[in-house]
Amino acid sequence: MKYTTFNQQTTNTMEEPMFFGAPVNVARYDQQKHPIFEKLIEKQISFFWRPEEVDVSKDRVDFQKLTDAEQHIFTSNLKYQTLLDSVQGRSPNIAFLPIISLPELETWVETWSFFETIHSRSYTHILRNLFSDPSDIFEDIVTNEEIKRRATDISKYYDDLIYYTQLYQTQGEGVYTIDGQTHDVNLRALKKKLFLCMNSVNALEAIRFYVSFACTFAFAERKLMEGNSKIIKFIARDENIHLTSTQHILNLWIKGKDDPEMAEIAKECEQEAKDIFLLAVEQEKEWARYLFKDGSMLGLNEEILSQYVEYIANQRMSAIGMGQPFNVSSNPLPWMNNYLASDNVQVAPQEAEISSYLTGQIDSEVASAEFEEFEL
Amino acid sequence: MIVKDEKLSVCVNKTIRFSFEREDNLLTAMENKNIDVHFHCREGFCGACRTKLLSGKVEYKVDPLACIEDDEILACCCIPVTNVEIETY
Repeated sequence: MKYTTFNQQTTNTMEEPMFFGAPVNVARYDQQKHPIFEKLIEKQISFFWRPEEVDVSKDRVDFQKLTDAEQHIFTSNLKYQTLLDSVQGRSPNIAFLPIISLPELETWVETWSFFETIHSRSYTHILRNLFSDPSDIFEDIVTNEEIKRRATDISKYYDDLIYYTQLYQTQGEGVYTIDGQTHDVNLRALKKKLFLCMNSVNALEAIRFYVSFACTFAFAERKLMEGNSKIIKFIARDENIHLTSTQHILNLWIKGKDDPEMAEIAKECEQEAKDIFLLAVEQEKEWARYLFKDGSMLGLNEEILSQYVEYIANQRMSAIGMGQPFNVSSNPLPWMNNYLASDNVQVAPQEAEISSYLTGQIDSEVASAEFEEFEL
Repeated sequence: MIVKDEKLSVCVNKTIRFSFEREDNLLTAMENKNIDVHFHCREGFCGACRTKLLSGKVEYKVDPLACIEDDEILACCCIPVTNVEIETY
């Protein structure tokens, strides 16, 4: 089916499935098949923030005080997060928008992607402050083996879905041989690719950020790199909303509340979906091992971080009916919750660090020379 | 006859029973009783405080956005309106 930017056929979006129904036409939100997406849009927009509002200038001094092992942990995490948001800033748009049939879901995906681009911009904001030339850091993201391995697993489900959607929307169903490779394109196969892709995105939003988050907040517990931690708090809050949206999409399918064929596919691919999640858990634990290869940091080590990943995985797997496969019942890093609670994100103006209220960068350092002109 | 001032009782995991002291929400009420409950956002959108509602009714103060089953509640944004029995995960 050919994609059109404005479908001139009259459609009833109250009866369309979320994906692979008729292309959308009027962006109207007065009637919604799945009102949850409109609510998520409202919530997400109410969380609007700009990286420039956060003063990160003190972080540069703190960074110089970190040990080599701690600097490795800090910059590696930023590289990994930059990769994740580079993918998430574009992929939901490119993969999902051409196949979405509901205006509220379409706008949700656009809103979601937009916030991921804010995250990407904030990594540049942080790195530009720490290094006079952050090029080496950015360039390493495409050559670092540890990061590349994760990039492959993150992008392959998106790329597969995008490629088959392009074939389907330009050629229709059929078997095509391109560059010596045979592709059997049919709607059922596409829906299966969509289901696996959504599971991969869900695992990304659920698990892949949390080792980095834990390290950032562990620095902040020691009053180090606090500007960075404020930015990451905003990002963590956004990622939690994004996760809620992918959980809703998956559960609508699984429970047969949307496309009945997707309910069948969900059943058929149950194990494969679970394996995608478990692989993300494994890769995050490996990431913790890589981070601490040169030494750990105060308050965190590989073992406790791995336990935290399992703890988070239990919660997030059970939310989409995958059970709780790990034997961790209580939170191994309880202080993390102070940074993840939404009402802690907005800092009260009377607090010493009012960076979240700044509308522009300020110079937070005052040299004694600046008082020279004053006479008493 | 229902006495207006009568406090509602909350039973957690079939073992702990306490009366609801009109805290802001069920999550705070459980925390005040030192019950270990999961939470993150405390605003109804992350789903970390998902709890099974075995019996009774709750009322939401803000719209819960997180994914929950029909027999589940989000402790961070609801208060009990009858006696309730709940089970934490």
